[in-house]
Amino acid sequence: MCGCCVVLVLFCLGLLSAVFLPDQSQKPQLGDAQLATNNPTLTTVSLEKPFCMFDSSLYPNRSYTIYLYVMKESASAMSSLVTDDSNKPLGSTFQQTSRGQLRPYNAAFFDVPDCAVPPRLADVRSFVHASYVLKQYLFRVGDDGTCLYDPNFLGVCNPPLAPDTTYRFKYVLVDNSEGMVKDQTLWSDPIKTRRAKLPMKIDTWPG
Amino acid sequence: MAKTENGVRIFQGLLILGNVVIGMCGIALTAECIYFVSDPHGLYPLLEATENDDIYAAAWIGIFVGFALLALSILGIVGVIKSNRTLLLVYIILMLITFAFEMASCITAATHRDFLTPNLFLKQMLEKYQKPEAGNNNDKWMSEGVTKTWDKLMLQNQCCGVNGPSDWQEYTSAFRTTYSDADFPWPHNCCVLDSQGHPINLDGCKLGVHGFFKSNGCYAAISGPMNRQAWGVAWFGFAILCWTVSSSSCSPAS
Repeated sequence: MCGCCVVLVLFCLGLLSAVFLPDQSQKPQLGDAQLATNNPTLTTVSLEKPFCMFDSSLYPNRSYTIYLYVMKESASAMSSLVTDDSNKPLGSTFQQTSRGQLRPYNAAFFDVPDCAVPPRLADVRSFVHASYVLKQYLFRVGDDGTCLYDPNFLGVCNPPLAPDTTYRFKYVLVDNSEGMVKDQTLWSDPIKTRRAKLPMKIDTWPG
Repeated sequence: MAKTENGVRIFQGLLILGNVVIGMCGIALTAECIYFVSDPHGLYPLLEATENDDIYAAAWIGIFVGFALLALSILGIVGVIKSNRTLLLVYIILMLITFAFEMASCITAATHRDFLTPNLFLKQMLEKYQKPEAGNNNDKWMSEGVTKTWDKLMLQNQCCGVNGPSDWQEYTSAFRTTYSDADFPWPHNCCVLDSQGHPINLDGCKLGVHGFFKSNGCYAAISGPMNRQAWGVAWFGFAILCWTVSSSSCSPAS
């Protein structure tokens, strides 16, 4: 009798959590290695956009934005929070967080990708559709270095990452009207950028 | 008596034949070496920048040895017909000198070919391709030569880097100091280009999507012609030398 009760309670709890708690088992992934073979590079990482990751948290007739946060793995011990006390997303930039060393910085924000119409990766073979498919499917962290050259630039910046460094990434779903965080993924697995060797160390002796 | 005379005649005939063959080989050697020296594949600047262009020196020696063999073969034929001892002595001495030069050329070509490893060209490409204003004029000349040659190689042979485009990601380079990794993970000549010379899809090229960048290495396109040159000069030279030795050693007997 008691055993039955326990099982029933656990079952109900599980059901409730599935219905009311947001699904946090998803995390940002690297782009498909068969498609994007040059990933990660020395200073960039191309992540898959969060297709169908936040669907359970989306309500119709409301607009949302996805924020991407980047931090060095060494920062995770200090602080990996992306929201403030009132559950609003932190606006920390690349410069403010010392290139992601102190805490996560917001690298970009974009519209929620449409889960119903995912990009057809086979279309990338066509020269006409390739750019569209790649833009729909992937986001390239570290793509834009121009904001580094403007000392007065205080906005959201996505400059090149550091080589031979481990980074972690997180997507956050933000409701545009309230400005509040509705859902977030887990921090991604550690992803390391490439390391470059020195050419003077190349041994040219034929022996 | 008539039999010995006949024998001598046959022997002289054989010697003249031998010299004719040497003369023709000389012409062939000159022609072959002129072809190599003319650098039809445009790879000489790469060798010049490695400061190891001895296979070209071997080809130059081959040109002059070829002419010398032609002249000596005529001298040999005249000497055999006239049965002049002095002429034949001069022939032998000059032939020995030519032999020594040709031997040097063949050995140089054969041994210096071994230095042309992928790492040699990789190091040179990384250090000199698109190198910004270098120190002295010589350095600048070599960097420009390497840059032009590599650009031409990548365009004509649809290839990138020595082992592949990953060379540009695995090593730092002079190219990397000027061009950022985000915009140029590898030079734009490594992308598949349209008829105007622009990448057909720059994003696809940067991400390494198959069909938008060249995934082969250029080493085969470099080593193929250079090996053919080195082996051509070396082995043809050795073959001529063997023939020369055998026919010259018979001529004193006449």
